[in-house]
Amino acid sequence: MGAMERIGEMTSAGAREYLTFRLDQEEYGIDILKVQEIRGYEPPTRIANAPNFIKGVVNLRGTIVPIVDMRLKFNCSKAEYDSFTVVIILNLHSRIVGIVVDSVSDVMELPPESLKAAPDVDSVIDGDAVLGLGSLGDRMLILLDIEKLMSGVDMALAPDVV
Amino acid sequence: MAEAHQESSSTAGDFDLSQFYQIFFEEAAENLDLMEQMLLSLNLETADDEELNGIFRCAHSVKGGAATFGFSDVAELTHQMESLLDRLRRHELQPNSAMVDVLLESADASRGLLARHQAGGEGDAPPAADLVRRIKALVAGEMAQAVQSVAPPPPPPVVMPAIVAVQTTAVLAPINRPSNTTRSLEIRIGPLDHPAQADAINELFRDIEGLGDITVVTCNQADTRVFAVETSSTDADLLDLFAFHVSREQVSIKEVDNVAVAPETRYGIFDGAAGSPETSLYDDPPPGTPLAPPPGFGFFDGAPGAPVPVAAATGAAGGSSGSTASARAVAKAASPVVQPEAATIRVAISKVDQLINLVGELVITQAMLAQNSRALDPALYQQLLTGLTDLDRNTRDLQESVMSIRMIPMSIVFSRFPRMLRDLANKLGKKVDFVTQGEATELDKGLVEKITDPLTHLVRNSCDHGIEMPADRIRAGKSETGTITLSAAHQGGSIVIEVRDDGHGMSREKILAKARERGMDVSDQMPDSEVWMLIFAPGFSTAEVVTDVSGRGVGMDVVKRNIAALNGTVEIDSAEGYGMKVSIRLPLTLAIMDGMSVGVGDEVYILPLSSVVESFQVKSDAVSTVGQGAQLVKVRDEYMPVIELEKVFQVPRFDFDKSSDIMVVIEADGSRVALLVDELLGQQQVVVKNLESNYRKVPNISGATILGDGKVALILDTGALVRRSRH
Repeated sequence: MGAMERIGEMTSAGAREYLTFRLDQEEYGIDILKVQEIRGYEPPTRIANAPNFIKGVVNLRGTIVPIVDMRLKFNCSKAEYDSFTVVIILNLHSRIVGIVVDSVSDVMELPPESLKAAPDVDSVIDGDAVLGLGSLGDRMLILLDIEKLMSGVDMALAPDVV
Repeated sequence: MAEAHQESSSTAGDFDLSQFYQIFFEEAAENLDLMEQMLLSLNLETADDEELNGIFRCAHSVKGGAATFGFSDVAELTHQMESLLDRLRRHELQPNSAMVDVLLESADASRGLLARHQAGGEGDAPPAADLVRRIKALVAGEMAQAVQSVAPPPPPPVVMPAIVAVQTTAVLAPINRPSNTTRSLEIRIGPLDHPAQADAINELFRDIEGLGDITVVTCNQADTRVFAVETSSTDADLLDLFAFHVSREQVSIKEVDNVAVAPETRYGIFDGAAGSPETSLYDDPPPGTPLAPPPGFGFFDGAPGAPVPVAAATGAAGGSSGSTASARAVAKAASPVVQPEAATIRVAISKVDQLINLVGELVITQAMLAQNSRALDPALYQQLLTGLTDLDRNTRDLQESVMSIRMIPMSIVFSRFPRMLRDLANKLGKKVDFVTQGEATELDKGLVEKITDPLTHLVRNSCDHGIEMPADRIRAGKSETGTITLSAAHQGGSIVIEVRDDGHGMSREKILAKARERGMDVSDQMPDSEVWMLIFAPGFSTAEVVTDVSGRGVGMDVVKRNIAALNGTVEIDSAEGYGMKVSIRLPLTLAIMDGMSVGVGDEVYILPLSSVVESFQVKSDAVSTVGQGAQLVKVRDEYMPVIELEKVFQVPRFDFDKSSDIMVVIEADGSRVALLVDELLGQQQVVVKNLESNYRKVPNISGATILGDGKVALILDTGALVRRSRH
């Protein structure tokens, strides 16, 4: 890696922006650069024999996009579809995927020093996919490496063997 | 020899290669550009295999194309480049800047040669002989001394620039190929009872491309014809050819020193040709057209659907449909060749894709408008409704035209091969029949472009390594003539292209032995299918000799790589002594399909119409069960397995009063099954979208499409459903 790239990474790390959203009572943040757009929820076309958190596929201007309900993935107590329910369309490695969340709250900038390492806890979320915890006053923000999370084998989003 | 003559003219009647010239020129230019870029960025000390392989492949592709189209000067030069690059990538030579220089110059020279062919043979040919010599010297490299004494470099090719061009325009000349064995001959035929007999010789040279150039020389003896000939064939060969028309004793061949021919003489030849009565016996072929087919077959008129209108050939061919006089008038004009730029434009596929997506959106919006407008009172909103009807028609037309940009029939690819195979078979002394099936299968343009190279490799391999020599075939109890079959078909959400030959197949032992030799990890217990896959390793070849056709072991890894890049797979099946089959399976990235939409519960699925046989309402007593659960339905004395889509796709059902009572019989892979659905919704053309680009393969589903209301509907994989019923 060249020196210039390292500097670039440091500055971008310093000014990283996160899109925050709510799942039930928890608040999560993901890298804003991975977000393509935010849409209202529309019932997708169900895919038979898919895991329950894969709601199906929708037509996004001619592209077939799978929709993952993060609330089901993270075993939230309830997953209702109402007028606040939104779909965040992510662009990960030129693959497009939508995630269903309860609501989108904010875009915020977090300096790296305010990030704390996540303690090892038993959770449905793969530990590797958690970048750290950010504190916003009295609220806690769980920062996700959404790319890693979505490419996990258990997400069943990509072909098993390429 | 009569056979050779007949065969060549009939072959010319079957297809017209010139429509692919433009594609070749464009591809070659791209390859040369790419090679230049890679050469320029090549780091001499740390050149890695990937880079060297890449450069090698560029040269290989250009060579393959040039050889296919009969541009032997380009093929010769690129063959030498390839030899050098081959030694580099095998690390037998260390790359140095002299090599890069000569390769770059050779690339330039190839471009020049190609440009000259593209212009129909006009202008000066860039001197390639010197480059060929320099490359050979570099290839010889360290082992130079030893080799040089054995094989001195052949004399430089005789380059015949401007004069040849004059001859080409005036006379019925096939492509000019300055090869290093070209000789100038004076052929005197006579005395003849009917001097017109000798005119057939003229025709012979025109029909057998590559034989050489012939010019009629005026002669003061009425019963004798004299021709000036440039050819690389031997006297004996020529006599054999001529024997069909005139007796051997009447022919005298005299070698003339072509360097000494004075310009006046040549112009005399030219005058004689243009004015001589015998030339007017034929319809003049289009001047300046390389490989001009005998006129009268009407190819050009008959090829309106060619997606890439042909450049130089079409321009010149315009003249061939006109009168002889006008053709001659064109011949006298300074530049008879129409510039190709006006006929086609090359556009990035991504732009076309964007267009297709936008049109798709438009169609959906239009469908929505149409749906909503149904409630309107026609009396009050007449104008609006008329407008909407127009919109409907226009969007449909627009969609059709946009779609047609990308879809082209496989015949475009297939028709490249007969000529190539014929030349190849002649060169190798083999007899090969070429059979194509499913030429009408439409394939995405992007796929067609990318599948052509792999297919070329496979067909060449089949001919070179697969089909045996006629004598060997007879000894093996097969017919003397081998068969290579190329077929294409839609099959369960994929396009399957197969290259089959009835040659000697592959030897498991040989491949394993070769693999061990190369230090690959193999064992005798490997299943056949895995053994066959070994031949896809880079540089793997079991051929004993490296010909300029194949045998370097390039090919197969390129084939695999190209096909993998298209998300496709390659499978090989071979039986030693009986031939082999290579199947390429490509996903339908974009294809239009006639679909039948069926409703199951609240969901809609699409069936490919091509696999739907019939549908009927079923009475409950028509279904019988076998063993536990398996259901059969009797349709006209035939029992068919029943597949309940509701169960296969676990469709949730909210309305329990309704139940599936319609059967749709589908056929795939030669068997039939009956699908149980709720209702038939209609037929429509659907654009097949790939589920795998953002998601993954779903069992029993071949793809998805977008319905009029913007919703996604899944397309059933009938092949998988039929297979499912078998287990």
